Amino acid sequence: MISVMQTIPATLASHAPAAAGAAHAPTAPGDSSAIWLILIPLLPLVSSILCGIYRAWGVTSKLPGYTTVLALAVSFIVTLTGYLSFGGAGVQIVHGFQWLNISWGEAHGQSLTANFSLYIDSLTWLWMLFVTGLATLIALYSTEYMSEDQKNGGYARYFSFFSLFVFAMSCLVMGDNLLLLYLGWEGVGLCSYLLIGYYYTKPAAVAAAKKAFIVNRIGDLGLALGMMLAFVEFGSLEFSEIFARVAEIQATVAAGGHVSWQIEAIPLLLMVGAFGKSAQLPLYVWLPDAMEGPTPVSALIHAATMVTAGVYLIARFLPLFALNPTSLAIVAWVGGLTALLAATIGMSQFDIKRVMAYSTVSQLGYMFLGLGVLTATGAAYHVFTHAFFKATLFLSCGAVMHGFAGQLDLRKLSGLRKLKGWGIVTLAMLVGCLCLAGFPFTSGFFSKDMILAEAFVTQGPGYQALGILALITAGMTAYYSFRVFFRVFCGPVEFHPSDDHHGDSEEEHEAHEDAEGHHGFHPHAPGWAINLVLMVLIVGSLAAAIPYFVDKENHGWVGGLVHDSTAGHLVLPTVAHGAEDAAHGAEAVAHGEGFWSDPHKWMYYVSGTIGFIGIGLAWLIHMTRRTEAATAPIADGLKNAMRPVSTWCERKWYVDEFYDIIFRYPLKILSHLFYLLDQLLVDGLVNFAGAVPRMLGRSLRPSQNGLLQSYAVGMGGGVAVILFIVWILL
Amino acid sequence: MTLLVLILIPLAGALVVGLSPERQAKWIALAWTSLALGAAIFAAFMFDWANPGVIQFSPKNHASGDLTPLLPLVPSLGISISLGADSVSMFLILLTTLLGPLCVLGSFTAITERVKTFYVWLLILQAAMTGVFAARDLILFYVCFEFTLAPMFVLISLYGSTNRRYAAIKFFLYTFTGSMIALAGLVYVAWVYSTIHNGAWSFDIADMQHAALTMSRTEQTWVLFALLAGFAVKVPLFPVHTWLPLAHTEAPTAGSVLLAGVLLKLGTYGIFRFVLPFVPLAVAEYASLIAIISIIGILYAGFICWVQTDVKKLVAYSSVSHLGFCVLGLVALNMVGGAGSVMYMINHGLSTGALFFCIGMMYERYHTRSMNEVGGLARRMPVWSFFMVFFTMASVGLPGLNGFVGEFMALLGTFQSGARTIGAGGTHGPLGPWFAAVAATGMIVAAMYLLYMVGRVVFGPLKEPDHHHAHETLPADLNAREITVLAPLAVLCVVLGVYPSPMLRALEAPVATTIAAAREASSRMAPVPMDSGHAEVALIHDGEASR
Amino acid sequence: MIDTALFAQAAFPELMGGITLYHYLFVSAAMFGLGVIGFLARRNLIIMFLCTELMFQGAGIALIAFSRYWMNATGQVFVIFVLTIAAAEAALALGLVVYLFRRRHTLDAQAWAELSG
Repeated sequence: MISVMQTIPATLASHAPAAAGAAHAPTAPGDSSAIWLILIPLLPLVSSILCGIYRAWGVTSKLPGYTTVLALAVSFIVTLTGYLSFGGAGVQIVHGFQWLNISWGEAHGQSLTANFSLYIDSLTWLWMLFVTGLATLIALYSTEYMSEDQKNGGYARYFSFFSLFVFAMSCLVMGDNLLLLYLGWEGVGLCSYLLIGYYYTKPAAVAAAKKAFIVNRIGDLGLALGMMLAFVEFGSLEFSEIFARVAEIQATVAAGGHVSWQIEAIPLLLMVGAFGKSAQLPLYVWLPDAMEGPTPVSALIHAATMVTAGVYLIARFLPLFALNPTSLAIVAWVGGLTALLAATIGMSQFDIKRVMAYSTVSQLGYMFLGLGVLTATGAAYHVFTHAFFKATLFLSCGAVMHGFAGQLDLRKLSGLRKLKGWGIVTLAMLVGCLCLAGFPFTSGFFSKDMILAEAFVTQGPGYQALGILALITAGMTAYYSFRVFFRVFCGPVEFHPSDDHHGDSEEEHEAHEDAEGHHGFHPHAPGWAINLVLMVLIVGSLAAAIPYFVDKENHGWVGGLVHDSTAGHLVLPTVAHGAEDAAHGAEAVAHGEGFWSDPHKWMYYVSGTIGFIGIGLAWLIHMTRRTEAATAPIADGLKNAMRPVSTWCERKWYVDEFYDIIFRYPLKILSHLFYLLDQLLVDGLVNFAGAVPRMLGRSLRPSQNGLLQSYAVGMGGGVAVILFIVWILL
Repeated sequence: MTLLVLILIPLAGALVVGLSPERQAKWIALAWTSLALGAAIFAAFMFDWANPGVIQFSPKNHASGDLTPLLPLVPSLGISISLGADSVSMFLILLTTLLGPLCVLGSFTAITERVKTFYVWLLILQAAMTGVFAARDLILFYVCFEFTLAPMFVLISLYGSTNRRYAAIKFFLYTFTGSMIALAGLVYVAWVYSTIHNGAWSFDIADMQHAALTMSRTEQTWVLFALLAGFAVKVPLFPVHTWLPLAHTEAPTAGSVLLAGVLLKLGTYGIFRFVLPFVPLAVAEYASLIAIISIIGILYAGFICWVQTDVKKLVAYSSVSHLGFCVLGLVALNMVGGAGSVMYMINHGLSTGALFFCIGMMYERYHTRSMNEVGGLARRMPVWSFFMVFFTMASVGLPGLNGFVGEFMALLGTFQSGARTIGAGGTHGPLGPWFAAVAATGMIVAAMYLLYMVGRVVFGPLKEPDHHHAHETLPADLNAREITVLAPLAVLCVVLGVYPSPMLRALEAPVATTIAAAREASSRMAPVPMDSGHAEVALIHDGEASR
Repeated sequence: MIDTALFAQAAFPELMGGITLYHYLFVSAAMFGLGVIGFLARRNLIIMFLCTELMFQGAGIALIAFSRYWMNATGQVFVIFVLTIAAAEAALALGLVVYLFRRRHTLDAQAWAELSG
């Protein structure tokens, strides 16, 4: 378990800006000073184990919560320190210990090596910064949010899983090989499963958890097969090896060579994994159901971090994807269509958490669209801004839910901004909605524009149409986010607490039942931890726009990070064969000088306008003439007028039912058939084989009549027959 | 001497337990199985890990200081008590001896009648299982192999649940019939040896392997199918698996644990030790057939699990599904698949054994295994639920836990193995990506049925049977003794999941020697790919084959 | 040295007078046949047992006769063994018969036919 660190002077390092290289002196190979980077995944793991021990000891204080916050905060500080020390300076590889290690020869590719080692480049830093940062904040928020469960031990359990999630996520992002990435990938899936099913007495939560895990497993199958194919093709699972091979292939392609179909198949398999984890068509169905978990979990896992793992995977392997333009087109179209579909569903849901869930699916669709049109920068930047504002939105929803005994129906809540103590929540919700809607000069505005503009610029099958679809989706996004805001936070004051409280303790439930009902119910306004976190996130969501103006040369700070990473050097077969030779950087196509010829410029105005239209529509439909929480005359009228479509949207296009009919029920019937077959045919044959001697015995049984004399006759007769035969033969 | 002692300790223990009073039987059994475990750990320290492929503790190996004497039984036929172990045997012996004390400890409250008899047979069973893995003489192997049936028969038929007689008889007759055919195959190989050596007989495994390799392809095919008849029933492979769910469901907890943990491995161990090295030509020819049968088993049994209401039956069928991966890895005929498969044997023994323990603990409390009657136990038994979910996850193949290592490597081995996919990391072999792709859907199915089980038994609203009467001496949740049973298994699951590297390194040499012949036979059959892009790679592989 | 074959052929009539091997064999066969008939015809356990003894002794006579005929002691040794064992067996068998009689108060062999098919 020797720990050494080395800088990979691979192709990627040469593309790092010279300035960055000078600022952060590249570490020499063998330098082990960065072993402390291992603390980033290690601390959450330790915290998880500690919380598990607290659970076993029956700790009922807030100790587990504070332990987690402390561990994650230190982890964040370590990440930040690491970024400031090494960010942009090529690749750090921190060797941990051997995990899988077996070889069957000396030659290249004749050994399977997958170690617990970290591969840290600028893309990793980007992800780890917001993962650990947001995790710290949300853990702090959870210390208050989950306090109801302190008595029954759920509190320690929650924080144990929470920390474990951060550990798994850091393995996913920081792993130096595909297998460790896979470990993180499945690990976050496990934590997601455990946390969605946190309220395990609720059948809906259990079913949602199971669904999330199984649907994710379908994606994982693709990832696993992609990983195996990558191993067979590249002879290694380690990123440094893989990207060295990819660089060789890129060189061949740039020289006019072709890519073998096996290499082209790798991205096709990997993206199945990405679609599963990031809830894209056709595997998005688990994410809305995942809202059964505690809201902070929805904020961290199912909005900000875990679901962006698919984006990370594709961004990490973008050079491979670029070698197969078909895969890029699939990613772009799947992303675009998912964005649209989820937006239509989001527009018609009444559960505000579900609206946010579908908006997450939709925004993830944007990120995939961004990757498909080769703006890894746009996608990564959108991941970054989305992490902040979606966390803000979810935590605001959580505050509402916490305060109103689990009420999430926007028809039963109204005018919350006028209540005392809800100012910060309202502000947070507003900021979140503005960012989500792409209101000019908010962070979401810049990140979304980058993707939209690139969709119009990049050459590809139907990318223009995709751009227009994405613009329409942007309008829908603005509409549904402000639909929530106007209905819940504006208008007349009215609230009804929920009758199914999201608590898993019966005593808790009973205690609340007294308070429930219209008379005795008092919403309890969020405390210091929730407000503090929300304030930080408000600032964070707004400040997420700043990186756009930093390092303008590389399209912002995030652009710089992406550019320095493995995603920075792409070679497209079509470009190589064509006349253009602009094959470096994510922004492959040269931008024109005139106003209309550069979508980056006019997109500001177009998308800004569309955002305004969406918000205006939401105001018109849901604010004007609304007298109480449940009735908005225009909205109801519109809903009736658009009857079939609105119902279909509300019923989520019946996708779940469709999957049930196409996959679940047939498989269930098949399983029953198999079981029947097993009992009747397979086991029946065995029993038949067993029955033959038994029948034989039964037919011979009467001869055994229990008479000694008859046996003697039989014996004598037998001897006689044998003697006779012997006599004949001789 | 060491290995002989390892077999004799449980036998001596059986004698002592038999002579001891009924009430002390369990403690004495625990002491003797613990002693055996200690001896096995000592043996593991004595083992020369630098040469894991060499048969050690064996009279034929003078390099290692500790020699087990060769005790001739029938000198005229060359039959002797000849023992020896390479790393594969060593790992399996360790698994067996580890499960021994845990089974005793886990049966303390479960077995209340005829206690002495129970532990006597349990100890005899352990001796027989150790003998199988330590035997270097074929007749000794076979005797031990068959002798595992008798204790198991007694355990099921005396201590099982309602349908125990039928289950015990079916178990006995089914596996016995299969192994008789396997014996015929093995005796044929011995006869071939005798004809080559002018009538001299030997049942030494190494001698017999040399003889077996001289057989023609047709002979090898016959021997292959004869051996498979015995080992496939034991594994069990589809479609000869139907004894297993029945036996598991009816067996007492300790019986189920040893059945899943060790007895099933006798089949895969037999394939590893005899089929692959003895009949390489036939294996190379029929590997894809065996693989297809395994894959059918993986999916078929997996889907059947999904509609079970009896928890124990579900886990039993899951063994059929899981062992399919194990056989698949073996017939991939490459290092990754072979080593993965051996890892899978150990890991399945740990995680599925532990699952059977968990189910047994639930059964002791509620006297039912039906998921329609119990559910949502997380509220009542948090510690038990933790272990249940933990071992389920190990069984699902979650990376970081032990199940993943074997499963992934078996699949990767299958994926690599095939002439059509030869990239830098490919190997010549009879299978290929399509086999792996179909088999890997078993991962999804596994998640489906195991989460279905956990979702019903552990999570959801609390449901307890109406006639539920608590076990007089057992608390609602697990007691210290029960935690002591499960905790070592859990720790091992994590350790083997996170740091399997030393084990894998130790498996390299024995796996390489085992698969060498079959692999070469297979690569001679496989046409060299015509893809010009891989010309250089093909050269590397030729070099490797010749080496 | 005397040729044993010659000795046997010559000595037999000399010692036994007119009695030849065939006489012995006839007695032997008759005893055996009586034994068989008795065994098959009677149901009394003791009688059946006595009949088996009769068959035994019949066989013994044949053995001794042949032994004398071939001047080979093996047959006689064999008979001594058989006699010894028969004595032991008789003790055991009669004990069993007594035991069976105590259980059922009958000596009918038919009384013990529970294992019939």
